[in-house]
Amino acid sequence: MVTAIVVFFAGLAQAKQLAVVVDKENQTDNVSTAELANILNGKTKTWADGKPIKIIMRDPSSRDAELVFRRLLNTTPDQVRTFMQEHPGLIVLAGSDAEVLRLTSVVRGAIGFVDLYSLTKDVKIIKIDRRLPFDVDYLLKGGD
Amino acid sequence: MGKTAFIGRLKTSALLIVVAVDLLSGVTAHASGPAFPLTTKSPEARGLADEAVNLFFERLETPAAVAKLHKAVAADGQFAMAHQLLSIVTMDTAEQIAEQQKAFATRQFAGPAEQAVIQWHQDSADRKSIDAITGMNEVLRQYPQDKLVVYLCVWWLFSQSQLDRALAVLDQSGILDSPGMLNAKAYTQAHLRQYDKAVETIAKYAASLPNEPNSQDSYGEMLRFAGRFDESIQHYQAALKIDPSFYPSQFGIADSFSLKGDQAQARREYAAGFEKFHPAEQDEVRFRVREATTYVRESDWQGADRAFQAIADREHARQSSQLEADIYRQIALYQPDAKQGLRFLDKANAVLANAKTAIRRDIQHEDANILRARVQLEARLHDKVSAMANLDRLRQMAQTSNDSVIERFYHGASGVLLYAEGDYNQAIAHLEQDTGNLFSLQLLVYAYEKSGDLTSARRAYATLAACNETSVEHALVVLPFRKCHQAGSCEAGSQRLF
Repeated sequence: MVTAIVVFFAGLAQAKQLAVVVDKENQTDNVSTAELANILNGKTKTWADGKPIKIIMRDPSSRDAELVFRRLLNTTPDQVRTFMQEHPGLIVLAGSDAEVLRLTSVVRGAIGFVDLYSLTKDVKIIKIDRRLPFDVDYLLKGGD
Repeated sequence: MGKTAFIGRLKTSALLIVVAVDLLSGVTAHASGPAFPLTTKSPEARGLADEAVNLFFERLETPAAVAKLHKAVAADGQFAMAHQLLSIVTMDTAEQIAEQQKAFATRQFAGPAEQAVIQWHQDSADRKSIDAITGMNEVLRQYPQDKLVVYLCVWWLFSQSQLDRALAVLDQSGILDSPGMLNAKAYTQAHLRQYDKAVETIAKYAASLPNEPNSQDSYGEMLRFAGRFDESIQHYQAALKIDPSFYPSQFGIADSFSLKGDQAQARREYAAGFEKFHPAEQDEVRFRVREATTYVRESDWQGADRAFQAIADREHARQSSQLEADIYRQIALYQPDAKQGLRFLDKANAVLANAKTAIRRDIQHEDANILRARVQLEARLHDKVSAMANLDRLRQMAQTSNDSVIERFYHGASGVLLYAEGDYNQAIAHLEQDTGNLFSLQLLVYAYEKSGDLTSARRAYATLAACNETSVEHALVVLPFRKCHQAGSCEAGSQRLF
């Protein structure tokens, strides 16, 4: 008896897990939530070695970007739009996760946010508060 | 159609033949770009593997695919990718593990690309999840349009419940001529609650296999998800016309009547199904639960108790402890009196404690699901002490199990308690990780509203209101939610939130 592939969805969709990635030469292995929030709101502009930070992410109206802003800056999607208008040039926008990964791998000092399951060996994943995406209390999980 | 042996080389006195995957049709064909190789010394084994892949991925015929792969590994025990495929395709957990080990042990007889696939699955089995992800993406980068590779990626992503990424891989492959992929895509869209897109995709699938009952059945199911119940019934009927023994469609008709609101007709259709057919055991339980859920939709709690208890008794006789426990968990959820609900959860725990035949992972999942329900009912009773104690147990399970299903139960339960305490921002962070559960999704709507995020509230509201699922949770959450919103008098607290 052939049936539909519903069996594979017994667990339904898992919440989105976003990875924070940097170029492979970056010496940073971990950032705190507060440090990451300060990077995202533009207060922290350089890494410890003095390299300028470049933030790379998907369109701020994407669910992934909403998740990043909600968790780090406690902002709603409407507030994100205002934030972007007030901070032109702070964030480099990429059209896809593949582009986030490509730009992060080639721009020194870049920091990107991507779907964990798009991750490649071209970039380095960093921890948030010593946690990786598979840890229970990892910060960047969710999405309705 | 033909297979061409294009490379031969000697290895340990055996002629290894790498057979090109340049078939004109069949799953190992590729749209363009490089083709993924399959290395075996046996042309017979290669042919069997091709057939198995086609049977499993294109036609969803798992037992037939498993049988072919058994023959393939018998013909060439060093055919590493056949072991790998068998590990993926088989429904037998012990065989999954054994075949993964054999694939890894025989990988030296395979080429570099096959070794990369085997390593990725081995990393996954070893819980080296980040290595597994990067391994998968590396294989996909090398063979972005090879059907077998795309299938392997999509199926692995399904196993990780990563439907967004699976959909992206399907879309980026550009493969448009594969019925199996269309089916997979439609179900992925439906489970991401993109119902209109799912109907559009399944229409293409049905057109590609016009004489297959499964294509009409899937079409009916997608229309049911989309709330187009009359059309859904027509397609289920079409499936039965093609193959009168195709029983999922009979029960699909019943499901559609139930979701449409005609519980009496739904019960007649379920009864007709059980009279005419003898579904496989797991199917039968699912269908009987849906039949029992018709009483929940009518708020006929006594009728529901009788129907669910009969299922529990049947599973008890079959010694299917996990299923029996899950029936008691579902009974607990709809009890108007939360204290009575907790008594049913005690029964569920007692059944689970005596489980002899269930798989350990299934028991852990059920145990965690029962704990989630406990926290929910205790929150309804304002019993914070008990709820916190059970949440702590669930948290420990989540932290030690490395299991995404248990983690979701933990986040759902955390969201309930945080919402009950009025900590809406923290509740959102947890509930967003359990949106597959309709109780969590409903709470999320109200948590967004209360936190002032009306854009997200509207989006979650639309998602919830559009859900047409066959579960008890749907009967308890979505129908009252729609009713009170249609009446324009819906406020958090006016429904059963926990």
